[in-house]
Amino acid sequence: MLTRFLETVRERVTRPLRLYEDICVRCGACVDACHFYKVSKDPAHIPAYRMMLIKKALQGAEVDGGRVARWYYDTWEADGPLTESLRKAMWECTGCRRCVVFCPFNLDTGLLVSTGRYSLLQEGLAPEMLSIISDAEVSKGEIVEAIRDFYVEQMQELERRLRQEFAPDLRIPVGKEGAEWLYVPLVGEHAVVPVAKIFHAAGVDWTISMFTATNHSYFLGDMAKAKQAAHWIIQEARRLRVKGIVYPECGHATRTLLSYFDGWFGEEVAGLERVSIVKLVADYLQEGRIRVRPGTFTVPLTYHDPCNIGRNAGMFEEPRLLIRAVATDFRELTPNRELNWCCGGGGGLIAEPGMKDVRMRAGKPKVEQIRRTGAQWVVTACENCKTQLSDLNEHYGLGVEVKGVVDLVADALVL
Amino acid sequence: MDTIAFLVAYITPYIAVAVFVGGLAYQVRRWVQAQGVPAHLSVYPRPRGFWGRLSDTLVDMFTLKGLFRVNKPLWVGGFLMHLGLLLLLAGHVRVVTDYYFLWHLLRWGEEELHQFSAVAGLTAGFLFMVPLVYLLARRWSGAVKWLSTPEDYFLLFLLLGIAITGNHMRLVLEVDQHAMREFMQGLFLFRWKPVPPSAGFSFLYHFGMVQVLMIYFPFSKLLHTIGAVLSKMVAKS
Repeated sequence: MLTRFLETVRERVTRPLRLYEDICVRCGACVDACHFYKVSKDPAHIPAYRMMLIKKALQGAEVDGGRVARWYYDTWEADGPLTESLRKAMWECTGCRRCVVFCPFNLDTGLLVSTGRYSLLQEGLAPEMLSIISDAEVSKGEIVEAIRDFYVEQMQELERRLRQEFAPDLRIPVGKEGAEWLYVPLVGEHAVVPVAKIFHAAGVDWTISMFTATNHSYFLGDMAKAKQAAHWIIQEARRLRVKGIVYPECGHATRTLLSYFDGWFGEEVAGLERVSIVKLVADYLQEGRIRVRPGTFTVPLTYHDPCNIGRNAGMFEEPRLLIRAVATDFRELTPNRELNWCCGGGGGLIAEPGMKDVRMRAGKPKVEQIRRTGAQWVVTACENCKTQLSDLNEHYGLGVEVKGVVDLVADALVL
Repeated sequence: MDTIAFLVAYITPYIAVAVFVGGLAYQVRRWVQAQGVPAHLSVYPRPRGFWGRLSDTLVDMFTLKGLFRVNKPLWVGGFLMHLGLLLLLAGHVRVVTDYYFLWHLLRWGEEELHQFSAVAGLTAGFLFMVPLVYLLARRWSGAVKWLSTPEDYFLLFLLLGIAITGNHMRLVLEVDQHAMREFMQGLFLFRWKPVPPSAGFSFLYHFGMVQVLMIYFPFSKLLHTIGAVLSKMVAKS
């Protein structure tokens, strides 16, 4: 039992994981980091325990010294209960890496979970929906020509509407060669409209991608497929000879862009700038390339640092700069920035309908944080966070509205 | 003298040092040879440049300020214990040689040195020992109970034993420092001298347990001593 899982784990023990298994002193600092554990009190949710489950299972397969040795090494049998614990430990996690911040050695439970998920995948134990979406993203490039006309039509339709509502000369270019920026959206006009408005106001030479930024293979821990899915975008960027790629308000996608693309693509991305829309727009505001009406929003609002934009990518002040420029009553969550609680919606959990209960429970610390501020709007910069926060709002009766940072900026633009 | 005492005093120290040094080298090699991850595994905010990362890492290692932010009780126990350990290690240089230039600078004679030694040694010894009791006791309750393995308890008891016997020698016994230095230097120079009888049974237990620690070290979580720097540097890259 679990032989494929254990084999795969052994193959994939990288340096950070080797360090993790050797130097974790089981101090328990990580216990207070995890929103899953905070609510469930289930040891399978303690970050260090997630590593122990794997380490002890590996040792269980290796230790040959009889009962005393097995007792001392505290090895665990590869059986039904262990498989269930492993499933919880690897899948009831959002990859937020708050535990990495709490650990005195910054041991990487996020990496562990990613490796563990890939290993469970080899055992045939992975959420179905995620696998389907992952495969679709990997093969998207093969069908993109077939849908090009339809896509162009959709963008033209949006363009027409925005020309009427917003600015008569607004453009949403598709496949424009030599543009400065390639903007990779998400599914849905909410990921296009605000950005189109801001780019118009800033006079940006841009073009919109045929692909979306999401990368569900990343959630599965399947880095080979994650790289394949992302490669379509790199190829498109190079074909269009753009200066750089802009990613939307999407946490995990931004993380792959800024932390993984170098390793995945090396030379191929060496000449391409890579930036998050949040940072780009903050730069435009600071440079005076866009102007906004101060005090456009007087409603009490707060900002939720998405894990993959904040502690995993370093953008804490950019969203705050933008929000403060347009709002009068900005309240911080406590704690915030790198210590912010995860919303509970990352890690691919939103794509999997069967995990909704788990996410609603894991989101409790976030709900309490929001309530304490008295905010009526929660502003954030990640798609999964927005969905999760909306679901939490409904489930717990928070009475808040969820907005994107670019939404606020777009609505406060002075042309 | 009896066989076990003889082994612990003159034979096993060499085995302990060999296993300690060889074992550490083996583990560091395992870490270096492991495949790297082709990604930036940073947590933010993070410093710029190699020296920025290194100094950030060292400051955190010597103050545990990251831990202070997230768990103050654990910080008190961990920090004081390690501070005591650091002072003890500095102090134990004096069982082999001495800080002659420092005493010369301070113009301290035998009398001053004797008093300083007693106070400093005892302070360091208790700074090390008392938090160990807290660190041991806390493993019996709360979430950390789930995480605690036999190794954790074994090491805490071992360190406590080393601390107690050490403090016993410092506080109760009057150990002939000159004879102790002769004995220890003898081990290094292969010109063996007698074990100082003034150090009593405590010395053999202390010395013996330290050797057990040294042999176990490269195969235990005590590797965090050197692994911590590597791990923290990765998280800032």
